[in-house]
Amino acid sequence: MRSFLFNFGYFIKESGRVIRLNLMSNIFSVLGTGLILFLLGIVITGTDIGNRLVIMLNEEAEVNGYFSENITAEEREALADKIGSMDGVRSTRIVDEDEAKRRMEDILGEEAKILELFDENPFEAFIEIRIDIDATDYVIDGVKNSPGIEYVRDNREVLEKIQDITYALKILGYLMMAAVGITTLIILSHMIRQGIYNNKDQINTLRLLGSPGTFISFPYILTGLFLTLLGGILAALSISFIINGAYNGIGGTIPFISLPPREELINKMFILLPGLSMALGLLGSLFGLSSIREK
Amino acid sequence: MIVSKNVSLIYSDKTQALVDVNLDISPGELVYITGPSGSGKTSLLKLIMGIESPTTGTLSVLGKSINDSGMMGIRKIRRSIGPVFQEFKLIEGRTSLENVMIGMRFLGIKPKQMKAVANETLENVGLGHKKLSKVENLSWGESQRVAIARAVARKPSLILADEPTGNLDYDNAINILKLLKSFRNDNTTVIITTHATHLIKDEQEATFIRVDNGRITIERRYR
Repeated sequence: MRSFLFNFGYFIKESGRVIRLNLMSNIFSVLGTGLILFLLGIVITGTDIGNRLVIMLNEEAEVNGYFSENITAEEREALADKIGSMDGVRSTRIVDEDEAKRRMEDILGEEAKILELFDENPFEAFIEIRIDIDATDYVIDGVKNSPGIEYVRDNREVLEKIQDITYALKILGYLMMAAVGITTLIILSHMIRQGIYNNKDQINTLRLLGSPGTFISFPYILTGLFLTLLGGILAALSISFIINGAYNGIGGTIPFISLPPREELINKMFILLPGLSMALGLLGSLFGLSSIREK
Repeated sequence: MIVSKNVSLIYSDKTQALVDVNLDISPGELVYITGPSGSGKTSLLKLIMGIESPTTGTLSVLGKSINDSGMMGIRKIRRSIGPVFQEFKLIEGRTSLENVMIGMRFLGIKPKQMKAVANETLENVGLGHKKLSKVENLSWGESQRVAIARAVARKPSLILADEPTGNLDYDNAINILKLLKSFRNDNTTVIITTHATHLIKDEQEATFIRVDNGRITIERRYR
């Protein structure tokens, strides 16, 4: 341990020498690692935005329960309260015939004139039921089977599709993580092995002088850590650039989509990618070093 | 210091390098290992350094068994040995000073002290003025002195020099032998292999191990 501390400056210098010895190859390794981590960062950011969208839609998820004919106002109130107490229901509110018409007029805009053709209000009153998206099936069944409810309208298909997309993004994220991990390990261990090969005479001499394996290995571990960290920082910078550009570009045009705060996404990238890159750098270096056989 | 009993060494290609070697070298001895090229001198040094393990028999170096030591144990033994390799094995791209220091780096010596010892040792071998020269720019003789400085700077219990006179003219060879012998003391054994027996024929205070076809004969000359 004492030797280790005394020689820390030497290790740093050695690591720099190992990098300089194969400078171009190491630059390409950094770029390669950076590119892979960049792709991972994009997938993670996409998953984050997708998750946020699902949470938002989850909060907005609702089904509408339409009343049977001849139901009294008191019975409507009682039914709304009863449904409101069901598991998976966030809230209920009765939308009467007039409000239903007003909403349609808002949707139709200038085309709302068409509604003047009706002598009477053609819209029915209904209960607006906000639900947990995970309890959609359960709530719909419960509402359908409630006495006083004629039928239920839901947007389950849309919600399910969004859920599927987010799920696919998550799977893609995991696959990307695995791909990034394996690729970085291969790139890095190859690079370390190359470095070891280039320094095989020196390593052999150190062994003959009795140098401990850790003393020989440490500069290579530092090299791996440094190069992947550089790749990680490069990836985080690129992604923050992309996120900033995307937020400035589309933030105003789709105000109805609530995106996660950009600082949150950028900060996550600056913690996650360099951290992940260092872990991969360490593993890759150890993997590369494990290939050295004692003779 | 070094004790071997019935040691034989057969390489993986079935070459028999050493046969039934029995040795007992004490601390502070000066030992010359002589014999023609290919006789087994270097093989004997390889065994002592733990580069090879005895095929049969037992060998202990500095009180530790070579047969039973794992790689960690062998490296520990090597840290107490100062090797001067036939081809020097200096690290190119580094200065003489850095090469000498590299042999001490893992011995727990403080950097300042390490540098002072390396400087002093280079002065002792007559290369103080070349301490900042890259080793690839040194002459053969100078490189050899750096290799010797690297071996002795770490104050080893055993100095092993493999054919240090190999490529030198008579005067330089004698000087190198004198230099190596100067590091011998009560605690430091010096073992030198050479096929140039004419350089050591007048030696009166040494042990001579002659290797021939893998077999050794020992002669101890002490006044």
